[in-house]
Amino acid sequence: MTRPIRALVAEDEPILAFTLVQILARLWPELQIGGVLENGVAAVREALAQRPDVLFLDIKMPGKTGLEAAQELAEDWPEEAPFPLVVFVTAYDEYALAAFEQAAVDYVLKPAGDARLTKTVERLKARLQKPGDRDSELERIVGQLRTLMAGVPPAVPMAAERLSIIRAAVGNQIRMIPVGDVHYFEASDKYVNVVTADSESLIRTSLKELLPQLDSNQFWQVHRGTVVNVNCIEAAVRDEAGKLSLKLRGCSESLAVSRIFAHLFKQM
Amino acid sequence: MQDATIQLKPDSRPIPVILLRHLAIVLLFNLIGALLGTYTMYVDRSFFENLVFAMCVGTLAWGMIDGGRLLIWGRAVPSRLPFILLVAIAMPAAKFLGSVIATQALGLNPQNIIDHQSKNATGTIIITVLLCSIITWFFWSKGQMAVLKASFEAEKARAAAIEKQALQAQLQMLQAQIEPHMLFNTLANLQALIAVDAPRAQRMLEQLIQYLRATLSSSRSQQTSLEHEFSLLEAYLGLMQVRMGARLSYALQLPPDLRKTMVPPMLLQPLAENAIKHALEPKIDGGHIDVRAIQEAGMLKLSVTDTGLGLDGPVRQPGTQLGIANLRERLRVLYGEQASFSLTSNTPCGAAAHITIPL
Repeated sequence: MTRPIRALVAEDEPILAFTLVQILARLWPELQIGGVLENGVAAVREALAQRPDVLFLDIKMPGKTGLEAAQELAEDWPEEAPFPLVVFVTAYDEYALAAFEQAAVDYVLKPAGDARLTKTVERLKARLQKPGDRDSELERIVGQLRTLMAGVPPAVPMAAERLSIIRAAVGNQIRMIPVGDVHYFEASDKYVNVVTADSESLIRTSLKELLPQLDSNQFWQVHRGTVVNVNCIEAAVRDEAGKLSLKLRGCSESLAVSRIFAHLFKQM
Repeated sequence: MQDATIQLKPDSRPIPVILLRHLAIVLLFNLIGALLGTYTMYVDRSFFENLVFAMCVGTLAWGMIDGGRLLIWGRAVPSRLPFILLVAIAMPAAKFLGSVIATQALGLNPQNIIDHQSKNATGTIIITVLLCSIITWFFWSKGQMAVLKASFEAEKARAAAIEKQALQAQLQMLQAQIEPHMLFNTLANLQALIAVDAPRAQRMLEQLIQYLRATLSSSRSQQTSLEHEFSLLEAYLGLMQVRMGARLSYALQLPPDLRKTMVPPMLLQPLAENAIKHALEPKIDGGHIDVRAIQEAGMLKLSVTDTGLGLDGPVRQPGTQLGIANLRERLRVLYGEQASFSLTSNTPCGAAAHITIPL
């Protein structure tokens, strides 16, 4: 190996981050740790910028959880770079360990001692030495995130109530939009943009909150920031680079489908 | 639980069993009647004849009264007045019919009997009425006893249910209090600190012990001093500060003259934990939390303010609303209209929770 192995650590609790870095330095002196990120947003930003080989992701972080960060990275990761090996770290095993068994390279419970991390380091080294494995890493994590996301309870478990009308404030009036008229919902910062055939309106909610209130047969999430009405999809188109996008009926725009949701558009 | 739904059934055994038991008791009373008639009332007949008469009249009277009761009211408790009426009709009817049957059975001359009866009218009537009344009263009070017993059982079940609910609420509070995430993350920090900064680990362990002890003991008691509540908050926020580092700052303000003031436990604690969990921990930059108690116009005002994500943060966990609803309910039960609670937005960011209770 000529190029040094580079890693990033995302952990919001300073003492735990410090200890993890210290143990890693002892167990794997050649590993270059490019930084410690204190929140999910910074973790995604730095991972995309530095493209590390190994990524330690705390599950519970401010800004974005480790799972959300992994999802965002899987969606935005450039084709040409190998996806990092992800090690999820958590103090409390709320997503039943079993769900992770085939998921990330590793799933470590805090506090991870030398013995446990030695095993992790060995696994990572073995994986890094098989370049064939690296190529399929992105595919693997995409598949794993899919199963994980299916198993993770929705953010608003109580809101089983189905939305039938979207009430959106436009100027000084409240526009009543029947859900069936919506072509797609698009997350934008703290708002969701509701797009119909002839209008766009912002509602003050998050996609995460909105999703459980929509009929999952009619509305499909196709990207972390997009939920589309399947009745409005005319076709799914793959470009030369292999990227999938949706062509909507009576609409010139096209919507990007992320890797995680690409399986929804396989032929029957 | 079947506290209020327990039916007041006097007797739940099958009807034939009840009737057989009753019949045995009636036969015993008949025997006493015959003995009384022969040896105390000087009814001019042999014991055997009296026994036959007593058996016929007594059993008939019982048959009419008990049978009538079952026909009219079934297993339910009869209403008093109609029942007395039933007894009043059944007694003379049984007396007359029973005498006729007994006469036939003994092969006596009916004319003789009528003469005989008119001669001893008072005696036989007294015995019949007396025994009928006694036996009716006997069964009646037996029934009443069963009803009383059933309602006593129901009351006992209700008390047990209330106690169980209270225990459950306490348990839920405990579980809500010592959240696994909080505990395991604290332990992880503690373990990490032991290796690098033993004195600090020692302090953190002390805080954890204080937090656990205070949480457990205040959950059990009805009243706690503000001083105690604030020391619990101090320990909790101290632990959180070790974990969150520079992202968390806090201030506690308890005027000296309010230290010994007694308050219900777990008023401030859930608010502080909410502020940490939903407002400050998920916020990238963290923030500040301020807990204070003040006395104002004879009222105690407690407040928890934070500079976190605020009330319209991206995802407001449903757990928060449940905790707030529980708090409101507890205040209502404890103080009625005298207490108030509000949760408002803080400026420039975050949320402010205010509790006002009478001093």
